[in-house]
Amino acid sequence: MGTRITNNMISRSVLADLNDIATRQAATRRQMSSGKAITRPSDDPYAAGRALALRNELGGIQQHSRNVQEAQGWMTITDTALGHIGDMAQRTRELVVQGATDTLPQTSRDAIASEIDQLIAGMKQEANATYDGRYVLAGSRTNVPPYDSKVLPVGSPPNDTYGGDAVKQQREIGPGVRIEVNTTGDRVLGGTPGNPGMLDVMRNIAAHLRSGDTASLGTQDLKDLTGRIESLLGVRAEVGAGINRLETAAARLAETEESATSLLSDTEDADMAKTLIDYSTQQAVYQSALNAGSRIVQASLLDFLR
Amino acid sequence: MSISTFMGIQTSLRGLLAQQRALDVTNHNVANANTEGYTRQEALLGTTSPLAIPAGALNGNGSLLGTGVDVMSYQRVRDQFLDLQYRGQNMSLGEKSARSNSLQQVELALAEPGTNGVSAALERFWGAFGDLSNAPENPAARQAVIDKARALADNINQLQTGLSTAVAEAGAELTALTASGGDIHRMAADLAGTMKAIRDAELTGAQPNDLYDRRDLLLDKLSEMGQVSVTASPGGGTDVALGGVTIVDSDDTTGVPSVPAGAFPLTFTTSPGGRLGALADLASPAGPLVAYQQSLDRVAQMLAGTAATTGATTVNDIYARDNPGVPFFTYTAGPAGTPVLALNTAINTTTLSAGAGGPGANQTALDIAALRGGAVDKEYAQLVTTIGNAVADARRQETTAQVLTDNLKDRRESISGVSLDEEMTNLMRFQRAYQASARAMSTTDEMLDILINRTGRVGL
Repeated sequence: MGTRITNNMISRSVLADLNDIATRQAATRRQMSSGKAITRPSDDPYAAGRALALRNELGGIQQHSRNVQEAQGWMTITDTALGHIGDMAQRTRELVVQGATDTLPQTSRDAIASEIDQLIAGMKQEANATYDGRYVLAGSRTNVPPYDSKVLPVGSPPNDTYGGDAVKQQREIGPGVRIEVNTTGDRVLGGTPGNPGMLDVMRNIAAHLRSGDTASLGTQDLKDLTGRIESLLGVRAEVGAGINRLETAAARLAETEESATSLLSDTEDADMAKTLIDYSTQQAVYQSALNAGSRIVQASLLDFLR
Repeated sequence: MSISTFMGIQTSLRGLLAQQRALDVTNHNVANANTEGYTRQEALLGTTSPLAIPAGALNGNGSLLGTGVDVMSYQRVRDQFLDLQYRGQNMSLGEKSARSNSLQQVELALAEPGTNGVSAALERFWGAFGDLSNAPENPAARQAVIDKARALADNINQLQTGLSTAVAEAGAELTALTASGGDIHRMAADLAGTMKAIRDAELTGAQPNDLYDRRDLLLDKLSEMGQVSVTASPGGGTDVALGGVTIVDSDDTTGVPSVPAGAFPLTFTTSPGGRLGALADLASPAGPLVAYQQSLDRVAQMLAGTAATTGATTVNDIYARDNPGVPFFTYTAGPAGTPVLALNTAINTTTLSAGAGGPGANQTALDIAALRGGAVDKEYAQLVTTIGNAVADARRQETTAQVLTDNLKDRRESISGVSLDEEMTNLMRFQRAYQASARAMSTTDEMLDILINRTGRVGL
């Protein structure tokens, strides 16, 4: 005797098959509505772990992009301020050359000295440049202006003390890659004890102009000023190099972001075309199973007996 | 030896009665077509003892004349060997499905991959520190760090609670099932009662088919819980053990079955297998759920602990570098006894330090942001993958066990199940036989009519 097939077996197998198709359809529907191939770790544990890592990596890249933008803003402001300070230093140099001329009357030298005082104030004003409300040349003391830019009456003790600190500010622009974004004001203008800077040289120049010491003006002062201008150019070159580095980093980050995004999408996003086709196939199978089920389960010898 | 004139009527009567019994059995089968655990029955028909007669119509040598039919027995159509196979497989199904259910619940609590899980909270936490490193003095950036740190701590605590709940639920279900007066105790009592009724019936020579069905169904149900073994006992009865513990004991002299006193609550020396085995494993300190808790605990330690214990620089390590003695996170025992992760209550937007120096100092923020993708993320991703694998495995095994169990169920059903087509056919068969027996009886009757009423009336 072959296998007996009872009515309960038929009902159960029809039901089990319907349930099986419905379960698969539910999974496909979930993929369709969420757009994700993985909606739970158990859908594909390896891919789920990979998706977490990629998502984290993508988050890191986006963070680094933000850091780069921030650093670019910061350094551009720094560069502009240094540029203006450089311009003023050049102007000072012209004035020193002019003031060193012995034939110039003292009144003219006094006038030049006043202009130098203004230039000093102007340089300090530039050194108080802010980015997003923060003083960029003040080290970590970003909440107070590093220099007092008031012009004091002739003869007052100089108000050139640097109010910032020497703390470096870094930005992370790649995994483990950091760039220093800040230039402290004292490197450019001085104003810290034992560190005669641009401001000291300018003060000397103003004093020598007022006292008519043309000899010092033409030799030592000019030499000191030229030295300061050169070191300023050095600092500016550093900042410029930093800005270039940031641009390269920005371009690289944009590329990595793109590839990480597409990798993440490959890992966790559902292939919509495939999902839709799967769904319609399953739908067709489900309907034919329902159809077959309704016929099979109904038919019985009872239908044919009187 | 002469034969009774009325023997034909007697033979027909036997036929009528036997076919009627067979019809009754068919009716019983049809009525129970959807009864769980029902085994179809058959009326085994057999010929009754023949009469020894001389051959030839009047005289001759000995021969046997059939006297009709009778029901020899009402038989259950069942294969005991398939029962054993089914129970073994059903035990495996019970185990896999309990495990799969619990693990799937844990997987849902993970909420991964997505924006509500711990990994997303970690991502936002690192991001907040990244933004803080760009603008340490910005109140919005500082507030964001506080918020994301709290959210991360909440997320981890919630997941830890979810895991504890799953462990506790498994333990509670195990206790409820094995308790005195619990489900298994009730089943054992029912089984003992049924076995006693069977024994009583058998002593009177009866064959209580429907009680056998009930007993077998109870054994089937018990097999989902754990390893069921049925052994003969010296008194002629049978003992039933679940996971090595006797739950129905037949008296060694009288053979009367009963639930042994003190058997409940059940305690097992080895894993009982089945659902109980799975629950015991899930609730056990050496089980998978507790291992997940420990892994999540390591994640918390990697945030709030020290490098000395975790082997990797923690958030607290970095924060304490510039703020000695100030932990960023606290990880101390909560009301439930398990450690709870929280942002140090002393840290707010004013006291939050992004680095040593002025308000623009950002070294701390920079270094904490750089922990992104490090040990914490890796430990957590590993936990997710481990749970994912465990759930996928459990589901696969459950499906396999389900298919095998269904297969055995079908094979059993194929032998013991009621086929309505077959019963309808039998109905016709027995009805026709009944009709034919009735016709045979009336034929004999007509014959006798001729003999009684029409003979000896010559000349009347």
